[in-house]
Amino acid sequence: MPDNSGFLYAAYVVAGVIYLGYTISLLLRARRR
Amino acid sequence: MTAAASDARSVIVRGIVLTTLGLLGVAAVMVLALWFTPVEATQGPAQKIFYVHVPAAFTALWMAVPATAFAGLLYLWLHDPRLDRFAAASAEVSLVFCLVVLVTGPIWARPIWGAWWTWDGRLTLTLFLFFLLLGYQTMRAAIRDPVERARFSAVLGAMGLVLVPFIHLSVYLWRGLHPKPIVLKPSDPSLPPEMLHTLLYGIGAAVILYVGLVTLAYGIQLAQDLREAADAR
Repeated sequence: MPDNSGFLYAAYVVAGVIYLGYTISLLLRARRR
Repeated sequence: MTAAASDARSVIVRGIVLTTLGLLGVAAVMVLALWFTPVEATQGPAQKIFYVHVPAAFTALWMAVPATAFAGLLYLWLHDPRLDRFAAASAEVSLVFCLVVLVTGPIWARPIWGAWWTWDGRLTLTLFLFFLLLGYQTMRAAIRDPVERARFSAVLGAMGLVLVPFIHLSVYLWRGLHPKPIVLKPSDPSLPPEMLHTLLYGIGAAVILYVGLVTLAYGIQLAQDLREAADAR
């Protein structure tokens, strides 16, 4: 079995950062309004 | 605080609660996939990127983009600003899910195909959809008149929906590297039950996250519209 777990962790981190980053940007916008 | 401002505030609070649930759901699915779902023998651990990639793609293609398009088309018919506000919120969230698809896909492709990107039909059309959604945001920011902005947005949103069947069928229409659907197909899903359950939980979490983010974005836009209306008076 190939050992490519680094790609798996990278994908999960990047997806988490995108979702979380967008949520934070919305929360900041909500605070400004 | 006026009744309308209080409504906007309650929509925002509801959006925050749902978004939090969605984010916790996505995190739980990652834990489930990492430690409690079997590793696919041929592809190795990288196959588990699937549990984030597919739910994001499903939500973007089968929920967010169609919801944007139908809300826009209904706006053209009914001229209700709530529909335009919803379409705008949904389009913005579609862009985020599309970005997750376009980023996690290449991270999976590198170890499995040996290349980050190929100009395969599925990949190329998804990239087109991303640019269309980006154009939607740019166009909205550029048009000042709300009625004109809503009309143009509705048309562009409908264009996104036109791409969806082509993206789904692209793996049958053109020969490429992207795997064919293993769940959304006429025959039974070709996945072992443990993998299928994790995938379905992933789709559930992504859908909750979509609903939460759209509610939050809608509430923010509603608050802004109310403030602009108050300033204009």
